[in-house]
Amino acid sequence: MNNSEGMFVPMRKWRAALLLLFLCSQTFFLTGCWNRIEINDLAIITAAGFDLTQDEKVEITVNLFLTHTQGNVDMMGGSSGPGGSTPQSLVQSASGINLADALSKLQQILSRNIFWGQNEVFIFGETLARRELIEPMDFLTRHPAPRERANVFVSKGSAKEVLKLQPPVERNLAEVLRELAKTQTGLNITVKELAQMMAGKASAAVIPLVEIKKQEKIKIPIIKGTAIVKNGRMIGRMDDVATRGVLWLRNEIKKATVTVTPEDKEGYVSFELLKSHTELTPHIEGNEWSITAKIDTLDDIVENTTSINLLDTEQTKRLEEKLADDLVNRVNLALTRAQKEMKADIFNFADVFYRKYPKEWNQVKDRWDEIYPQVKVKVEAHPNITRPGLTGKNFLKRN
Amino acid sequence: MIERGKISAGQMAIMLYLAITPTAILTVPSISFQYARQDFWISPLWAGTAIATVFVALRLHRMYPGLNLLQVSERVLGRLSGKLIGFIILFMYLYLDALVIREYGDFVVGAFLRQTPLIVVSGCMVLVSALAVRGGVEIVARFGQLFLPAFLVFFLFIILPIIPDLNVTFMLPVMAEGIMPSISGSGILQVWYSEFITISFLLPFVADRRKAAKSCTFAILAVILTLVISNLTTLLLLGELTDKYNYPFLVVARYISVADFFAHLESLFMAIWVLGVFVKICVFYYVTVLGTAQWLNLPDYRTIVFPIGFMITFFSMWMAPGYQELIFAIETTVTYYQLTAFVVIPVILFCIASIRKQVSGVR
Repeated sequence: MNNSEGMFVPMRKWRAALLLLFLCSQTFFLTGCWNRIEINDLAIITAAGFDLTQDEKVEITVNLFLTHTQGNVDMMGGSSGPGGSTPQSLVQSASGINLADALSKLQQILSRNIFWGQNEVFIFGETLARRELIEPMDFLTRHPAPRERANVFVSKGSAKEVLKLQPPVERNLAEVLRELAKTQTGLNITVKELAQMMAGKASAAVIPLVEIKKQEKIKIPIIKGTAIVKNGRMIGRMDDVATRGVLWLRNEIKKATVTVTPEDKEGYVSFELLKSHTELTPHIEGNEWSITAKIDTLDDIVENTTSINLLDTEQTKRLEEKLADDLVNRVNLALTRAQKEMKADIFNFADVFYRKYPKEWNQVKDRWDEIYPQVKVKVEAHPNITRPGLTGKNFLKRN
Repeated sequence: MIERGKISAGQMAIMLYLAITPTAILTVPSISFQYARQDFWISPLWAGTAIATVFVALRLHRMYPGLNLLQVSERVLGRLSGKLIGFIILFMYLYLDALVIREYGDFVVGAFLRQTPLIVVSGCMVLVSALAVRGGVEIVARFGQLFLPAFLVFFLFIILPIIPDLNVTFMLPVMAEGIMPSISGSGILQVWYSEFITISFLLPFVADRRKAAKSCTFAILAVILTLVISNLTTLLLLGELTDKYNYPFLVVARYISVADFFAHLESLFMAIWVLGVFVKICVFYYVTVLGTAQWLNLPDYRTIVFPIGFMITFFSMWMAPGYQELIFAIETTVTYYQLTAFVVIPVILFCIASIRKQVSGVR
């Protein structure tokens, strides 16, 4: 008995030791070295642009973030910075029959794996946008790598030209465009929002337009105006002024400075917007569909070159009326362009009607294109001037 | 009895909660939205099946204390037909577990580990679950207890930062076409709710049986609340895009961006998903193994843990050739099979059992 137990104990020890050894050896499989992707194996894309080439192909242009700081960038081709300093990004492009194809062609010329995780900006060239947006948008929503929060833009001219710019202030171009969109003086549209608008009841969308501006020698991108999308393709542009109206009506305005000239006075009064809220109320009476847009704003006065005493409530009231007129005009300008000329429901009136009149909407949803241009829109603006600023009357001016 | 472990009623509730919510968050919104549109956040409230299955399981257990659904069916219907019914239910559990593994694998491979073979992802999960199941019901319950706080914290980490991006108008008009759309949207959810029948297999091990009914009610309410919150968040972020994405809640996690650096949270979502699904797989795996051992009159269930694990892995591979077929199967056959095995059969058993009791009581 003693003997058998004596045999048994070392056996168990051996087995335990072997098992431990086996388990320890398994840790080598857990290091992740098998499928490792180091940062210098990645081509980190910060912005991507899509264009239509002359032979009807889709060209993809990407702005790569360079992970090395020194290095001979000129040797890698691509862009040259205007300032002479080493650029931190590199532009590459490739074309194919569609986006996925173009992307695979792009991968062929890159020594590193394309990595979408940090991509913040997509730019569609205007020719491609006018042709169709459905195909690229399908790729951007289907492929798991591009992010839904990335901003989208349409560029006047080719997207490639915009991506080639070397911004003087920010680190890279994506940063510039994203910050520009975020300030909300123009539109700020993400991939998700664009997909939402395109798939929504109105089937119309707005995308901010990017334009290249030359200031002396430096070329910078600016957001100016809006591309109007209907049924999956861009059908027109709106200029800067009309875009402001679009923003007011879509309740997306955050920053604005409005300057008006009071009647029978010389000079200008400028207001800075503090807060604004736009409410759309639909009505259906018989066959007549109408919408009341009520805009409530809160403004401060920031400049006054007239002789008006701004502490005078009577005068303030008249200024408010003047400001209201100005707002209504801006909004009407946008409305006429979108509703009467382009017939694109970019203000999403379709949803506004559906929310209040779901039954009526369901009856006409196939004919919405005919009804939309006929919808009567009444714009009411109620500005509220709260403060005259730090001074009352312009005390530098003598009458 | 071949299982000597004991769990508390609270542990049972946690197991049920984690067995139902994780997959429901992932796949239900997309299907539910197609029927209920902007009312689909109301759909989880129509939890008829959950209440019915819990009621039946509790009553059956009161009539036959210490016995689970399989044993009850043998008592009620006699040996042969009882075994047959038992086989149908057991096979459903086997199939369901394989289905969950497959959904898990497809999601992880499709959205994150695109280069990894499906069998590696599923196989690893089954292996880990097998080790837990071998430990018995107590170990599975402890895992549930361990993972629940992490699950809830991660869930809130996704819900709270996305609040600034939500648009309340997307939920309007509420119940525009009456109550019907939200009810038809809850149809697919009944499949998940029917999984509450699993308590029948856990009740025999519950130490404090008096609290069982209360814990089950609590579990149902927690599931409903979680689904309403996740559905509402998805709806308010995506609006009409909800059913366009296969995994809408993943998009919610990806969309988060607070102060420019608190972003890219899909890894968090993946963590939730892996933790929750692990418990889910363990619970169903355990029921399959235990039930099979009882069905074959084996002295111990531990011996068949790995063989059944192999079966589950291969079932999950054979189930469907691709994601599309998988979704098609879930929307058609699986739904009816599962509702039959988990709802219709137990309810019929319950009716027969109560008639028998009354007849014998009169005698």
